[in-house]
Amino acid sequence: MPQPEEAHADRHAPDRAVLVTRGLSKSYRTGHVIQGRRPALQDLDLELRRGEILGYVGPNGSGKTTTLKLLVGLLRPDRGDATVFGEPLASRAWRSRAGYLPEHPYLYDYLTAAEYLDYVGRLFGIERKTRRERTRELLALVGLEQSAGVPLRRFSKGMLQRAGLAQALVNDPELLLLDEPMSGLDPIGRRLVRDLILELRRAGKTVLFSTHILSDAEALCDRVAVLRAGRLLKVGPLAELLRVDIAHMEVLASGIAAQGPGLEAAARVVSLGDRLRLEVEERSLGRLIVAIETNGGRVLGVQPVRRSLEDYFFEEMGGPATRMGEWGEG
Amino acid sequence: MGRGLSRILAVAANTFRETVRERVLYNLVVFAILMTLAGLLLGPLSIRQDEKILKDLGLAAMDLFGTLIAVFIGTGLVSKEIERRSLYPLLAKPLSRGEFFLGKFVGLGFTLLVNLSVMLLGLLLTLAAIGRRADPALLTAAYPIFLGLVLVVAFALLFSTLTSSTLAAVLTMVVVVVGRFADVIRGMREVLPGVPQQLAQALFTVVPNFANFDFKTRAAYGEAVPPAVLGWVTLYAAAWTAVVLGLGLASFRSRDFQ
Amino acid sequence: MSRGLALGLLLVAPIVPVSQERIDRLAGAFRAQDEVLYLWSGEHVKRLVPGFESLAADIYWLRTVQYYGGQRRFAAGKPFDLLRPLIDITTTLDPGLEIAYRYGAIFLSEPPPTGAGRPDDGVALLEKGVQELPLAWRLRQDLGFFHFLYRKDAASAARVLMDAAEIPGAPFWLRTLAADLLARGGDRAASRRMWTQMFEQGEEGMIRENARAQLRALDSLDLADAVAEAAAEFERRHGRRPRALDELVSAGLWRGPLADMAGIRLRYDLDTGRVSVQEDSPMWRPDPIKEKNDE
Repeated sequence: MPQPEEAHADRHAPDRAVLVTRGLSKSYRTGHVIQGRRPALQDLDLELRRGEILGYVGPNGSGKTTTLKLLVGLLRPDRGDATVFGEPLASRAWRSRAGYLPEHPYLYDYLTAAEYLDYVGRLFGIERKTRRERTRELLALVGLEQSAGVPLRRFSKGMLQRAGLAQALVNDPELLLLDEPMSGLDPIGRRLVRDLILELRRAGKTVLFSTHILSDAEALCDRVAVLRAGRLLKVGPLAELLRVDIAHMEVLASGIAAQGPGLEAAARVVSLGDRLRLEVEERSLGRLIVAIETNGGRVLGVQPVRRSLEDYFFEEMGGPATRMGEWGEG
Repeated sequence: MGRGLSRILAVAANTFRETVRERVLYNLVVFAILMTLAGLLLGPLSIRQDEKILKDLGLAAMDLFGTLIAVFIGTGLVSKEIERRSLYPLLAKPLSRGEFFLGKFVGLGFTLLVNLSVMLLGLLLTLAAIGRRADPALLTAAYPIFLGLVLVVAFALLFSTLTSSTLAAVLTMVVVVVGRFADVIRGMREVLPGVPQQLAQALFTVVPNFANFDFKTRAAYGEAVPPAVLGWVTLYAAAWTAVVLGLGLASFRSRDFQ
Repeated sequence: MSRGLALGLLLVAPIVPVSQERIDRLAGAFRAQDEVLYLWSGEHVKRLVPGFESLAADIYWLRTVQYYGGQRRFAAGKPFDLLRPLIDITTTLDPGLEIAYRYGAIFLSEPPPTGAGRPDDGVALLEKGVQELPLAWRLRQDLGFFHFLYRKDAASAARVLMDAAEIPGAPFWLRTLAADLLARGGDRAASRRMWTQMFEQGEEGMIRENARAQLRALDSLDLADAVAEAAAEFERRHGRRPRALDELVSAGLWRGPLADMAGIRLRYDLDTGRVSVQEDSPMWRPDPIKEKNDE
């Protein structure tokens, strides 16, 4: 437990932990007649450092949303505790410095986007003039300034998601807790959110966002925390997590058969119509290219394939079979 | 403290806005039509009866419409927020659960106040239109009706923290209906020794006596409710409301939102 | 629940019964029954609740009972004005509600403070009931009893009881009782028989309670008569009336208390030598026989 004086030092010491959980656990009751307990989160020990973007990844049902709900007070932990900015989780004081975006946010459909943000601003005790400015800023930031006066009931899923993000930012929070911030967004929307998150980090904010879209985590995060079945598997910088792999190169070729000679060097061969995609260890790249060319094929392209988080997942979670059921689209 | 109060008021104001936008106040249109028709059609009836019937009708409509609003909007206030998860982003703010809950209560209470006031005004205008003078006794009957409605809202909120909006509405209606018969139940206790004492006693204690808010007949005859009675009725309503709200508060605070 | 909240609730809760009691006192409990009665007769109400007459009858009956109890409890000295209309509406809504006629007749006929003291209304009610339910021998029996007990009309009572005896299922002794009434013009024994019947027939509740009370009243009258006998004997022996009833005890002519079944001392009029039940005793009833004989 952080000592009292740390709470003050907190704001100024750059690498103080913004959020610390210890042994945080939660289980749900299941069944109506015979009640069992299903553990949703077990013994989470996690530290979020100031100024970092932490990706919270895992398949659906691994406890990501549960963790965020626990942090934000929608759920009460069975065991364990947490501190935010050095203050106990249950205290409301830190909430004026944080912002939360739930998964599939539902905002009051009888209000317009501007009215909603204004309402949230009132809850933070922001004065009217400041609220008005802030609302305008935020709507512009998330690309909704054209729809300021439109009732939220007419918003598309993507627009709602962006409005949700806006409401999380009303108080200019130092800490952002985002549950699947990219969900429901088209590529433009996703780009926008991604850029926004990067901008937030530039401004010195700390972001914890959960996602099952691994490419987003890869693109944005300094560190990644991997969850499975309610347990934290691993936390660490991406590079560390992915260091174990040996870099492969991906070669796109045409004009040769998959079982052709000289292609044994390839670690993996995938047929794409009349082309082949071959993965080969970096040191065998030269040999493979020569083999393709001497056998009358053509090399269309070469690019590095880093072991992705996906691959890591495959290996840790166990194969494609688990993938289908748990993740949905990525 | 001041911050908390302003947050409660913010929630209350938004709740009022919600009821307005969800067209709750359209019931006033129905009321207006009712009053107009009554005013027109009752004219030919005997001279003294039309005034009384109009007052009966007006007060009964206040009571009935108000109760329906209190039950159906009241139970939706919290249940729908839970079901649709619209309260998730809000509870993560410095807004406490208690402030949210009380804000909803105040908001709907204010809506009912507005609703009732407009109806009272409508009734007085209709009476004036048929040539009767405005009767202050009506005010003394409308006020206890309002108190009763506030209590119903408290029950609606309590049940909506415990269960779905449909079931909460049913439970609240049960409380209202049983509460209106509370007097009869009490009578049974006195006069029919066959009924098990404990049952009658238990029922009377557990349900508010809504007859305490019913001075409609008296007012329709032009007899105002004495201020002392109004005072005690206010105290009764306040105590009951406080208890029910307190239970609702406790329930809401302890909930997990899965 | 937080401790503060729980404490708050505990402190606030007692306000509820306290204020309720105040409201009752100031506004009159059971005032709810005032509503609706003023304009509506039974026929009106019946027209308003098509399909729900039976339920409405039940509700009105409940209100009647509650009103009756309420008047007794909270409105002492007030007349039972609404009783007749309430019962009238109830029995118009559901003419088959036998209990309404029977209890209603008692409520109406019993002298205040027990009831409204309007035996004519009670009899009229029973007559309505007898018309609607010709095969209900109990109603006819009650009607006969009421003629005798409340209106002191032995002849009508006998006639009605004879009719009642004809109904299938009626007990045989109704005929005997009717014959007795005709022959002797009624006496206390007949009263006693009737009240005993009502007591034995009734389930626990109003009818039974009332019958029991009536029987005790008769016992008190018997007791008063017995004391009067002792006083007469005293006069024969000592040539003068006893100055007070206690003299009977000291003279050895009376053993036991000189009080009626409620424990109230018997009244002794030195001038007339009459021994009777005190008028303010709960055991006091207008004695049809004595009054008849005094006429």
